[in-house]
Amino acid sequence: MTTTTSLYDQFTELYNKKETLNRNEWLHNLRREAFEAFTVQGFPTTRQEEWRFTNIAPFLKEAYTLEPAAASLHENKNAGSIPGLDAYEIVLKNGLLNVDVDIPGIRITPIRTGIQDPALQQYLGKHIAFRNNSFASLNTALFENGIIIEIAKNAVVDKPVHITHVYNAEEPFFSQPRILMIANRHSRAEIIESVFIKGRQSLFVNTVTECYIAENARLDQYHLQTAPGNAHFVNFTQVVQKGDSLYNNFTYTLPGAALVRNNLHLNLDGSNTESHLYGLYLTAGSQLVDNHTLVNHMKPHCLSNELYKGVLMDQSRAVFNGKIFVQQDAQKTNAFQQNNNMLLSDKAVVDSKPQLEIFADDVKCSHGSTVGSFNNEALFYLKARGIGEVAARNLLVNAFAFDVTNKIQIPAVREYVEKLIAHKMAEAYD
Amino acid sequence: MANKSTDILEEYSDKEYEFGFVTDIEMEVAPKGLSEETIHFISAKKEEPAWLLEWRLKGYHSFLKQPAPTWQNFELPAVDFQDISYYAAPKSKAKYKSLDEVDPELISTFEKLGIPLSEQKLLAGVAVDAVFDSVSVATTYKETLKEQGIIFCSISEAVKEHPELVQKYLGSVVPYSDNLYASLNAAAFSDGSFVYIPKGVRCPMELSTYFRINTENTGQFERTLIIADEGSYVSYLEGCTAPKRDENQLHAAVVELIALENAEIKYSTVQNWYPGDKEGNGGIYNFVTKRGICKGAHSKISWTQVETGSAITWKYPSVILQGDYSSGEFYSVAVTKNKQIADTGTKMFHIGKQTKSRIISKGISAGEGQNSYRGLVQVGSKAEQARNFTQCDSLLIGDRCGAHTFPYIESKNKTATIEHEATTSKIGEDQIFYLNQRGIDTEKAVALIVNGYAKEVLNQLPMEFAVEAQKLLSISLEGSVG
Repeated sequence: MTTTTSLYDQFTELYNKKETLNRNEWLHNLRREAFEAFTVQGFPTTRQEEWRFTNIAPFLKEAYTLEPAAASLHENKNAGSIPGLDAYEIVLKNGLLNVDVDIPGIRITPIRTGIQDPALQQYLGKHIAFRNNSFASLNTALFENGIIIEIAKNAVVDKPVHITHVYNAEEPFFSQPRILMIANRHSRAEIIESVFIKGRQSLFVNTVTECYIAENARLDQYHLQTAPGNAHFVNFTQVVQKGDSLYNNFTYTLPGAALVRNNLHLNLDGSNTESHLYGLYLTAGSQLVDNHTLVNHMKPHCLSNELYKGVLMDQSRAVFNGKIFVQQDAQKTNAFQQNNNMLLSDKAVVDSKPQLEIFADDVKCSHGSTVGSFNNEALFYLKARGIGEVAARNLLVNAFAFDVTNKIQIPAVREYVEKLIAHKMAEAYD
Repeated sequence: MANKSTDILEEYSDKEYEFGFVTDIEMEVAPKGLSEETIHFISAKKEEPAWLLEWRLKGYHSFLKQPAPTWQNFELPAVDFQDISYYAAPKSKAKYKSLDEVDPELISTFEKLGIPLSEQKLLAGVAVDAVFDSVSVATTYKETLKEQGIIFCSISEAVKEHPELVQKYLGSVVPYSDNLYASLNAAAFSDGSFVYIPKGVRCPMELSTYFRINTENTGQFERTLIIADEGSYVSYLEGCTAPKRDENQLHAAVVELIALENAEIKYSTVQNWYPGDKEGNGGIYNFVTKRGICKGAHSKISWTQVETGSAITWKYPSVILQGDYSSGEFYSVAVTKNKQIADTGTKMFHIGKQTKSRIISKGISAGEGQNSYRGLVQVGSKAEQARNFTQCDSLLIGDRCGAHTFPYIESKNKTATIEHEATTSKIGEDQIFYLNQRGIDTEKAVALIVNGYAKEVLNQLPMEFAVEAQKLLSISLEGSVG
């Protein structure tokens, strides 16, 4: 407890130091509001419903430094690259963008300079409920690095954009990058994010991503969460969808990072929107992977579809909480949600909590949740046909994950994810 | 159709509570408020042994320590616990052997409710332990049950006659410190039913208690304890109606079920307390703690509930599946209309191996009613091959009601199989159209659809009760069209 208090003090000190220099009034107000919200809440504890199954305290004990490490990260072309992927590559080092990139139809600016633009006021921090999200508040109060991605009106980006987040963990480091994506009307883009970590010290990354999707725009977002065991991630993604827009989110978490907490919040603030959320978490070791999603249907005639699947090995732990809110105006809503879990070990634990809150009557909503293990009949069927135990189990896990992996629309990414799963499964049975 | 449905909705939401009337019988009421003195008073009135008084006081101290819960999905009205009278008993307090000796006014109260004791005695073969406010006034069929060694009496009687059983099991499933309302009940419970089924006995009839709240400002703190010894079977019915009141009345009952090896307990509830008027004034707060434990192997506990009344219903009948191969069931229909709130569900704790649980919950919300299902399925690391199936469906009638589900699923065993599914929908226009086309008017069509929707649960009720439940459901949903 004393160490988290000291981390808390560190943040207070940093905030006071920085905000005296801040001349930008609206930003100053935003940061102050966010920091006050953080001060009131402190770091979340398991006494809070949202963090009931995820005890964050042990991960905050490290003596983190808050300022980015000065040592430059040497160029490593292959760091975090996805084989066979033809994409526009962007590399963020400790959240910093230091090379100019030129992508037709997209304007990319470091958040540090971009933030001076008063036009950002309508997006930045606008849709986040600070009072209930202490990490998102902390990030808003103190973020320094990150980027703004703005997709121009009518632009259809010809290749996916691949962002590699490179972190230097040569000393314990607490990083707070901020990403803002604005997809203007009738635009279309695919964004892939992956992580590469250098160094073996403890790394804590508290990211906030905001996506604003205007009328008729389409945005596909991929999160590939592969990282070594010294990494801890708390991701907060807030999406706002306007009328007739389409948003797809793919989140794949693989064994490695000691803690992954994803918060994915969607505000469907326009009619006729469509949203698909796909998630897969394959956990091993003593990993803790926690996915919280919230789909807020605010306007009529929207469709949301969510499918999260988990495979748990060793003494790992997974948490799933999927909320669907249907507001009174959101008639003719179709909202579906499914969470399936496979426990492959006696010591693995899963906590699943789907949640529907519906205030409109003309809706179709459903959710389903299952927890189980291998289907013995299926195993027997395969073994009877001369397939060995290990191969049969791998086959069944792959089939289980297939529902989610086959939704990936970029072949190279799909191949990459499938290979990672096969590789991790093979490791598990060795 | 739109006009028609508005008319019907209005007529339906204007519907007054049918069973609202007051019986005028002199009551002996303890002074308002809860304190150690009140507890001493209650305990002395009931001539209780020292251990029970001590247990009540423990409950009282635990009650003082606990803050009001904040996790529920509704605004908890402030209940002034000091403005409640904790003891009320009809003055003419003689022991009756037959119905003829019972105060005729009491009998007519039951008759207005449609539960004539005499008729039931004859027709249904139901032994009724009628609780009029706090003290049992009539216990029928006692003699018949006695032959089999079955104990069915009020809990105060059980304390006197079978103290060893009560002392052993009271508070063993719902401890006095369990939650705020359970503590309050432990401190101040007035009366309730006690059932003991001896080894290997199959109870020959449905046991039943009608609860009835009568005196103004009298909270009801019933305590029910049912013990099914090895290899026995019992089916227990609980049904409630209450006269109309403007002030809110609190009901904080506790029900404890204990099933030993190979025993089976079936507990059914039909609840139709005064729900308040259509502005949401008055009505009963029904905050109940119900829990059963399958102590022995192959034991079974089944909860069935039909909830149509109360301003706020807040309860989670639960089962602790401790014995290997034991099973738990929960079947529920909850109807909310006007400003009624129901936050209900169940908890299934799988501890023993090969334990099974099944949850079927059907919520129906109309008007501005709010219906929440909140459930927990917990599989411990030793619960090999545990199996759970959960289905919770919600039906919405009108555009200002709400349906919510909060299921928690926690599994610590890889051999466990847990399934949960939930759907929310309204009555389809196509369904109504299909029935209209066949000459069934809209109102009947809705009743038909709703009855079909709730069938799975209603089927679980014993025959005598199913009739009443269906009647209640049709009264509650008369003329509601989506």
